[in-house]
Amino acid sequence: MIRHLFKLAWNKKKQNFLLITEMFVSFIVMFAVFTLMVFYYNNYKTSMGFDYDNVWVANYTPPQNITTTDSFQIFHQSLGNMVRSMPQVNDISFTSANVPFAMSTNSTEVSFGNNRHIRTNVYQTENDYKKVLNLKMAEGRWFTDADKITGKYTPVVINSKLKESLFGNTAAIGKIIREEQFDEVPPADKYRVIGVAENMKDKGDYQEVENGMFVAIDTGWMRNAGNILIHVKPNADAAFEGRLSKALSNAIGTSIEIEHLDKKLQSKNLLMLVPLIIALIVAGFLIINVALGLYGVLWYNINKRKAEIGLRRAVGASGADVSKQLVGEALVLATIALIIGTFFAVQFPLLNVFDLPAGVYITALLLAVLFIYLLVLFCALYPGRQAAAIYPAVALHEE
Amino acid sequence: MIRLQNIEKVYRTDTVETLALNSVSLDIAKGEFLSVMGPSGCGKSTLLNIMGLLDMPTKGEIRIGDNKTENLTDKQLAQFRNKTIGFIFQSYHLINDLKVIDNVELPLLYRSLSAKERKELAGKALEKVGLSNRVKHFPTQLSGGQKQRVAIARAIVGRPEIILADEPTGNLDSAMGNEIMDILLQLNQRDGTTIVMVTHDENMAKKTHRLVRLFDGSQVQ
Repeated sequence: MIRHLFKLAWNKKKQNFLLITEMFVSFIVMFAVFTLMVFYYNNYKTSMGFDYDNVWVANYTPPQNITTTDSFQIFHQSLGNMVRSMPQVNDISFTSANVPFAMSTNSTEVSFGNNRHIRTNVYQTENDYKKVLNLKMAEGRWFTDADKITGKYTPVVINSKLKESLFGNTAAIGKIIREEQFDEVPPADKYRVIGVAENMKDKGDYQEVENGMFVAIDTGWMRNAGNILIHVKPNADAAFEGRLSKALSNAIGTSIEIEHLDKKLQSKNLLMLVPLIIALIVAGFLIINVALGLYGVLWYNINKRKAEIGLRRAVGASGADVSKQLVGEALVLATIALIIGTFFAVQFPLLNVFDLPAGVYITALLLAVLFIYLLVLFCALYPGRQAAAIYPAVALHEE
Repeated sequence: MIRLQNIEKVYRTDTVETLALNSVSLDIAKGEFLSVMGPSGCGKSTLLNIMGLLDMPTKGEIRIGDNKTENLTDKQLAQFRNKTIGFIFQSYHLINDLKVIDNVELPLLYRSLSAKERKELAGKALEKVGLSNRVKHFPTQLSGGQKQRVAIARAIVGRPEIILADEPTGNLDSAMGNEIMDILLQLNQRDGTTIVMVTHDENMAKKTHRLVRLFDGSQVQ
């Protein structure tokens, strides 16, 4: 019977062309939507790698009236001591503007051996940064005061992903990383790895883990540092936030803004979901159209093929056989559309388009295939049942 | 072979009740070639549909062979039709999207036969009606007579004991009609197939063993 259905589909290829095209386009759209969904879901499942509850970030413009590096150091020390002395504060760390869930990014390219031009986020940190965010170390150690002594190489802590990109499965501690310059200038040895931290998903729940490198803030950077991560006690409330804001504003002399990382995460997540929501809306409308179109065409086909249905009943098909045949024909058309669609879809992992893991594409492909089959089955079931109910003697009178 | 007892068929709509068959009783022996005649609308096709288990009588009993048919399920009726009855229609009812051989194979699709067996049986049936050279043609490429021969091949491919023919020569000229009639007579004489044929043509009816006339749903001869 399957062969018979394929034969019918092939012999009616001209009539079926538009239907197959419609199914093919739906498959491609659903493949794209599922790819995005699987990608986001996989990212969502990945551990955040740090704690953001009760962590606030104070953003400010560094004061312009302090001109020397020494003065800046003293200013930061006294500012830090003032915040630390507050009873609701656990730990603080000055940092660069790319605090977790911020829009700001700071990156560079590093290399080791033949692994060239590896792009990584760079986070300026202090000794307490690890404590503030409760970062976990996979190997080695975090920064200590001893690392402030200027040496030939800048000590860095890298995350597990960067370690894998640079060193694969080999040990990372003690290795020297080069920083890429312009293409024509060879990279220079610059960083010495002192530790490997577990991956930190700092761009939100749905973001892929990226390469990361932590550097201790040096005195040069102090001039630009305008962000303090503050780990507060659970009892820190709005009244404390007001006091903190006032104290910081008085100390710095410029306006300051205090944000909570959990709220920043919520808005960042929403922002990350926008493309998915748009894709889902577009796909939703398309699928409704396709479903209605498919339903209409199958319904029309039944009315057009009443004589054939009557004939099949006369030569030995039961109502269930007729129903199965019509549903089967729709599934055969879907299969043809899906074979063509799969040919295009498999090019994505093969050509490594968008640099996503092959597993994401394969899962999305399987989901899209399943979705199209279910959609076609859903649209064909009712017309199929209606066809089964046609009375053979009546159907045979149709020309 | 076929026994109809007091068959009555009433078609009902919201406002109208039409008596299509009124107490028709018929006994058709195995190997008999029976023709049914009567004016248009007298119930000939209704009678044939009831004999072919495509329609159920409002009253009365049908026996085919030793089988009572009124309690059969849809699936059992379908199987019974598939194995016991072959149909030939005035307008051929060929599927234009299928080749001649595939049209002939159609009843065999509902039996558990391999593709090879189906093809073999369909080929033999087409040979019987003299259309072995047209297996790969589509129905639209055939003349009316050839189409009806394909329809006959489809009716006999499953070797049914009964063939029900509803005006098989009605759409054909007399020469073509005679050709088709010769094939039916041959099937009846050579293979012993029981044939019931509805016709408007007295000459064709004269060639059969027995003639039954209907008028306004009642048997008058």
